Amino acid sequence: MIPFALSIYWDFPILLIVFSLVYSATRHDPWPKILREAVYWIGRIGGFLLAVGTVLYACSTWL
Amino acid sequence: MTAPAVPPAPPRKLDFFAAFLSYLLPGLGQVLQGRIGKGVLFFICLYSLFFHGLWMGKLKNVWLPEPSSLPAARLPIVGELGGPLKAAYNRPQFLGQFWMGIATWPACAQYLLTKSPENGEPLPEPSPILGRYMQAPSEIEINALQRSGDKRFDLGWVYTVIAGVLNLLVIYDALAGPVIKNEDETPPAPTPKPGEGAGS
Repeated sequence: MIPFALSIYWDFPILLIVFSLVYSATRHDPWPKILREAVYWIGRIGGFLLAVGTVLYACSTWL
Repeated sequence: MTAPAVPPAPPRKLDFFAAFLSYLLPGLGQVLQGRIGKGVLFFICLYSLFFHGLWMGKLKNVWLPEPSSLPAARLPIVGELGGPLKAAYNRPQFLGQFWMGIATWPACAQYLLTKSPENGEPLPEPSPILGRYMQAPSEIEINALQRSGDKRFDLGWVYTVIAGVLNLLVIYDALAGPVIKNEDETPPAPTPKPGEGAGS
């Protein structure tokens, strides 16, 4: 079993932060708007994946 | 009395040179346009993502295969493909990675310079300048990488493709500006001409 410290899930925050920052920066020029939208996307994508992960974990544990 | 209508902002001129620079190096076009902070952000973010993906794939996930040994590639209207189109058909990941600009040119150089292996050897000769960097790996090598490690090898090329596709957005930003224009950029209200007083 691969230890959690070496898990591929540790690579995901890099993708999440880079995608959110770059996508937001291509939509706005002022920095406050870029940062606000980036935080919004990080929360939205992260929340969605966390919800999916929780459901899958619950299914694999209790079903 | 209604306020005078503010004329819409004139359309932004397309900056093809900046777009080309942003293709070469992510963010370089924005730096040329004076948006230095954004240019640096694009450069750091996209190069971090691309090279992190390359590292995850042990530097063996950005390449174009040599087309002579590949199965035939046929598209409905275009017909039979050859050369680099055939190679890209068999390695579609490169169509996304290509938009990272100079960072992927070693793969193009390897495609152009590498001769197919002779006498049944599994690997072609390494390039005198690039070595095996971004050279198409052998089937045996790819199988070994996929079997021996975790899913990082496969996840790596996904990261490099996402970096390339994100750079398409950056190129568009250099070409035509941000998608949502800054409200502060609206032009000032026109000054009334002499003789157009409030009472007239």
